[in-house]
Amino acid sequence: MQRPDWAPDTIDIERPSVARMYDYYLGGSHNFAADRAAAQAMVAAVPEAPLMAQANRAFLRRAVHHLAEAGIRQFLDIGSGIPTVGNVHEIAQQLDPRSRVVYVDVDPVAVAHSREILAGNERATVVQEDLRHPEAILAHPDVRKLLDLSQPVAVMVVAVLHFVSDDDRPADLLRTLRDALAPGSYLVLSQASDDGRSEDERAEAERVYRRTDSPLWVRSRAELTALFDGFELLDPGVVWVPQWRPDTPESAEDAERAVFMGGVGRLGG
Amino acid sequence: MAESPGTTPGPGTFARAWAKAVSGTSYLPMTQAQLESLLDRLTGELAGALLTEPFDLRAGHRVGAELVAAHIASAEGLGRTVEVIQLRLVRDLGLVAEDVEDRMARLLAAVATGYARALRDRTLDEQESIRRAAMRARTQAERALRASEARFRHQATHDPLTGLPNRTLFTERLAAAINEPGRGAQRVGVCFLDLDRFKVVNDTLGHQIGDLLLATVAERLSKAIGEHLVARLGGDEFVILVERTAGTDDMVAVAEAALAAVRTPALVDGHELQISASIGIVERQVAGANPTDLMRAADSTLHWAKSAGGARWALYDAERNQRELARYALSAAIPAALERGEFYLDYQPLTSLRDGSLVGVEALVRWRHPELGVLRPDSFIGLAEETGLIVQLGGWVLAEACREAEAWSAGGAAAPFVSVNLAVRQVHRPGLVQEVRTLLRQTGLPPERLQLEITESTMMSTAKEPVRALRVLADLGVRIAIDDFGTGYSNLAYLRDLPVTELKVAGEFVAGLRSSSVGRTDERILASLVSLAHALDLTVTAEGVETAGQAERLRAIGCDAAQGWHFGRPAPADRILARIR
Repeated sequence: MQRPDWAPDTIDIERPSVARMYDYYLGGSHNFAADRAAAQAMVAAVPEAPLMAQANRAFLRRAVHHLAEAGIRQFLDIGSGIPTVGNVHEIAQQLDPRSRVVYVDVDPVAVAHSREILAGNERATVVQEDLRHPEAILAHPDVRKLLDLSQPVAVMVVAVLHFVSDDDRPADLLRTLRDALAPGSYLVLSQASDDGRSEDERAEAERVYRRTDSPLWVRSRAELTALFDGFELLDPGVVWVPQWRPDTPESAEDAERAVFMGGVGRLGG
Repeated sequence: MAESPGTTPGPGTFARAWAKAVSGTSYLPMTQAQLESLLDRLTGELAGALLTEPFDLRAGHRVGAELVAAHIASAEGLGRTVEVIQLRLVRDLGLVAEDVEDRMARLLAAVATGYARALRDRTLDEQESIRRAAMRARTQAERALRASEARFRHQATHDPLTGLPNRTLFTERLAAAINEPGRGAQRVGVCFLDLDRFKVVNDTLGHQIGDLLLATVAERLSKAIGEHLVARLGGDEFVILVERTAGTDDMVAVAEAALAAVRTPALVDGHELQISASIGIVERQVAGANPTDLMRAADSTLHWAKSAGGARWALYDAERNQRELARYALSAAIPAALERGEFYLDYQPLTSLRDGSLVGVEALVRWRHPELGVLRPDSFIGLAEETGLIVQLGGWVLAEACREAEAWSAGGAAAPFVSVNLAVRQVHRPGLVQEVRTLLRQTGLPPERLQLEITESTMMSTAKEPVRALRVLADLGVRIAIDDFGTGYSNLAYLRDLPVTELKVAGEFVAGLRSSSVGRTDERILASLVSLAHALDLTVTAEGVETAGQAERLRAIGCDAAQGWHFGRPAPADRILARIR
């Protein structure tokens, strides 16, 4: 008997998870030996890896803060990972406790963990879905319950799109999401970029991530800018993430070491 | 202790330097300003701890724990904190105390201790929480897997149309019922059910209605025979497994319940459908049974029910099955037997009732079977007709009869004709005329010395082709006789269309001539047949004549010729020929 497509996967903690590797880079202990081994291999290949994760996390914080100040009260965080420090709902609900946040991740352990963290928070929830199935995300009953898509929503696709291959048509995925959003909604996007990287470094990083369930697809600034199709990019556009509205001028120094590029776009109309 | 303001940078400067030192050691979920403000407060605590009497370790512990709580929680974070406090705290804040070095060492130890304790607790908490999450995710995944496997198993063992168990599940359950240890002395049974003429429903009303009907039948069967396994094997075939029976009566009761369930008219999509079913029942002891044989037996039995007209059950009969198997094996052996020359012909005389002369002989096939001895046609012709092997066998008989008959003319002037039976399939074959023509040419037998015997049923089909073929043969001069006249359809219309030469009247009318009471009627029928035949310019041969009395009465009626034991049993050609030489 061959198992059909819809049979679920089993949980294998011997296999590194990108969500838990990311937690390790951020200094968390929500990870297992296999995750740490893979993360350490990554650091050996790309010493800035922890810095990358931290810079990206800081970008997320600044972006959410900015959007919350701009009046956004609904957030859809796709590829949210392990709910480590500085989660979207913490930032957003600090500014307005009525802010609603839906986390989406494909990793069942990350989802189970998020569920535990969010227990008792009626305005935040998590669903297990794949960025590659935007229709399923948008149609998910929990998404529908918590988010009112007729009102502006900030869709966060932060540090996850580099796990989506070109074959999966990232532009189409983002268009599907965009078409479901009300005017005044936002897209927050960041991912690993190869602008200014050597071939060797890139190959080594991709090799490490091939051992996980999520191989790495780096993209250029031009490619990332194109993904904001239909959105008006906020200043300063698509940049190395430390350069996006830094807290202090010094924190934007050596920005390309962060490897991640990102930006924020607003849906006009 | 005293401070000297104006000459020292102050706590703000120290806090900023501290913030810079720990930046980037781990992710800090706050702005630089928030970080500086936090460290500014902790700087105050540290300064207080250095100066307070008596020295209080708990202040250092508290600072270490607060750093971890604020996520300044990495090894590097601690190292840089120790470094910056050691190097700058006293200097930047202009702190003066007698034992400041001593106190600094104890303060740093307390900060490091508080930090390490808090970080250890935090690490353990996080490890616990991620493990808990992994366990929960795994439990969920396993539950989902079990659910999907159960769903998959159900799909693999059930028929999607009717929701009934399918062949796979039925086979499993039957095998389990038979192979269960210690059940040898118990009994098991199956009802193999097939709808009668279901194809007609599909053909006339469409497959959609057919499918709906199958679903209705399935529902009724499971309702009527709920305690037993009802499975759909495919098409309109269903099977009921009775895992424990006390005997055939139990099975008959199940079969009758099933037939009753099917018999009730079904309203399907506005059509009221009256349908029936046939059932083959096999019921036997578990010991010695195997699923394949049991199902084969059920299948054969179902066909008995079908061939008996359907809408009934039939009970498996091992002897009947044995006979059929033997008959089947015999028929399957015909081609090889033909090749080995195991067939031969006997001839039975057809004698003139006017002068006792031999007018013809009927060729009768015999099989000299290597194991069973000499076999008469009734033991193998029937099945040969069913399987179509009759065409091959009949062709051989015809050829052999022509070949032998040709030789008889050498003996004397009035050689008898040879009469050969043609099966329905032979007459309906397109090549018949050509076959006979070729035979006559090859053997040199004059056409008028060949008689072809066909039965009334041969002419029952409306096909024009056989009539045309027979007419061509009659035009060649070949004699056409109707065999067993009076016992079949007896539609006289074909006598008008067919180039018939002779009627052979069935032996059962002749048999009646023995007793005087029944005989009166038979005699009248025979007399009428003879006068009808003569009116149509046909000759009449009576079959099955066994006594001189019968022969006498037939002669009195005016019957032309007779055949039967009274005139001679079937015998090899040379013995028949001895009579005319």
